[in-house]
Amino acid sequence: MKTTEAYSRRNFLIGAGVAAAAAAGQAEQAHKVPVIDCHTHAGTGTTLTDPWTTYCDAEEIVRRNKEAGIDKACIFPINHDTFEEANREIAQIVKRYPGRFIGYAKHDPENEKGRIRPMLLRECRELGLRGLKLHVTPTPEVLDTVAELGIPVLWHPSPSVATFEEVARAYPMIDFILAHLGSDLSADWREHAAGIEAAKRCPNVYLDTGATVLSRYIEQAVKEVGPQKVIYGSDEPEVDCRLEIFKVRVLKLPKQQEEMILGGNMLRLLSKYKGGAA
Amino acid sequence: MTKESRKPLVVDCHALVGSGKTWADPARVVDYDLNLLLERGAEAGIDRYCVMPPRNETYAEANRQVARICEKQAGKFIGFAAHSPQREAGRLRQMLTEEVKSMGLRGVRSDGHPTREFLDAALELSIPVMYYPMPSRGQGVGRFFHMPAMAYPKVNFILPHLGQYRSLNWTAHMEALDLARRYPNVYVDTSGVGSFKYLEMAVRELPSERILFGTSAPELDPRVEKEALRLMKLPPDSYANVAGRNILRLLGRQPA
Repeated sequence: MKTTEAYSRRNFLIGAGVAAAAAAGQAEQAHKVPVIDCHTHAGTGTTLTDPWTTYCDAEEIVRRNKEAGIDKACIFPINHDTFEEANREIAQIVKRYPGRFIGYAKHDPENEKGRIRPMLLRECRELGLRGLKLHVTPTPEVLDTVAELGIPVLWHPSPSVATFEEVARAYPMIDFILAHLGSDLSADWREHAAGIEAAKRCPNVYLDTGATVLSRYIEQAVKEVGPQKVIYGSDEPEVDCRLEIFKVRVLKLPKQQEEMILGGNMLRLLSKYKGGAA
Repeated sequence: MTKESRKPLVVDCHALVGSGKTWADPARVVDYDLNLLLERGAEAGIDRYCVMPPRNETYAEANRQVARICEKQAGKFIGFAAHSPQREAGRLRQMLTEEVKSMGLRGVRSDGHPTREFLDAALELSIPVMYYPMPSRGQGVGRFFHMPAMAYPKVNFILPHLGQYRSLNWTAHMEALDLARRYPNVYVDTSGVGSFKYLEMAVRELPSERILFGTSAPELDPRVEKEALRLMKLPPDSYANVAGRNILRLLGRQPA
């Protein structure tokens, strides 16, 4: 790792607003709760088969975030076979836009088998990444490391919400965020319903609102699970944050509830980091 | 200054009323909430709606239901019939003629690939045809749209969802743009596009006359769909076209 890429814990805390979260708790939210998008892809892909294997332009994301009133976005790589290089690129993007992004690592439990613990520890401690994005079912190797670090997992609902819930039950010490409220682009509304039920049953399951085309399920999630378990996300840049955040704002919730969904909940999860710095 | 130039009329070209099964998921039974459509539509600033039934096995009763609802909402609702060119073959001309001439319906949605019988009736009645081929993942809309659009240049076709409901297959959006560029009688509607950047692409690449504002409400939230229209950031004249002028033109005349 190049020394210029090193990202100290102190810098991260300033940049990511975790310090603000702690202060907010003490001062009873004397400051505005930052608006955080929990689900944004960034960086360069290599296979060029789809938008999500090609390129996600951080500059464009920042432009749309500003227009939507989003203070920060959790960013992670797009699709790769292995993620060491892509995670480094995420750390570089975080550094290039001070205060705008919170970096997550991404890993493939099979392709990177046996190497994930040292990689993820280094990515959190040295590169300042603060969460893990998953697209497939994680292995104990992945989850034990996540538990050790105290970082949240944002998991694309693959293969199913049922699998997601089983894993979340097995690791109650980890906060799991169910991406797309259980179904990317609402491809299967039944998975939205299953996601809401999973969040009711499991204290460590949270629901990401991103790319929920059938937005009535966001409304249902807030009503049935409560605003403390719903987290705003977009799936930028494939899905537009300006429209996704509107799906939360249009609910016209009491201010405190909206603040939880738009940033407070995510800050709370991020503040559980216990991985330490190098 | 006319009233329209101050505040363009907003006409939703794609809303749903009545009962049946959802177009996207034939396993889900619905009875759409008219009040929800009207309340949220009013909040979104929608002035009029083209309303059509959800999926049914056959459509005589569903279309009558649409006509009854339109009668109660006179001035606000414009009724579209729906028909299955395959399951209702042999009766389409007679049914559609009655629905248009006696019941006041003014467009038709095709549940399945439109046949000559179906399109001959639409042509004779000068009504626009909404057709969503429901391509599966990796299968384009072009395969379904080229022949009808080419063979019936005097029928106006509305391709909903910019070619792909919920943006499940991004290449279908690209194909929809190509179809609208190639055929002057193909229009795209803006409803239920999950990936907004393709609507931005449509705004950049197509004349505003070829884009129709739609919502798929109340299946989808009309307030969110209307926000997408706002985010398109169209110049005033183009906005007026997309928001309502285009669909009113289609309902009033044949292709140029």
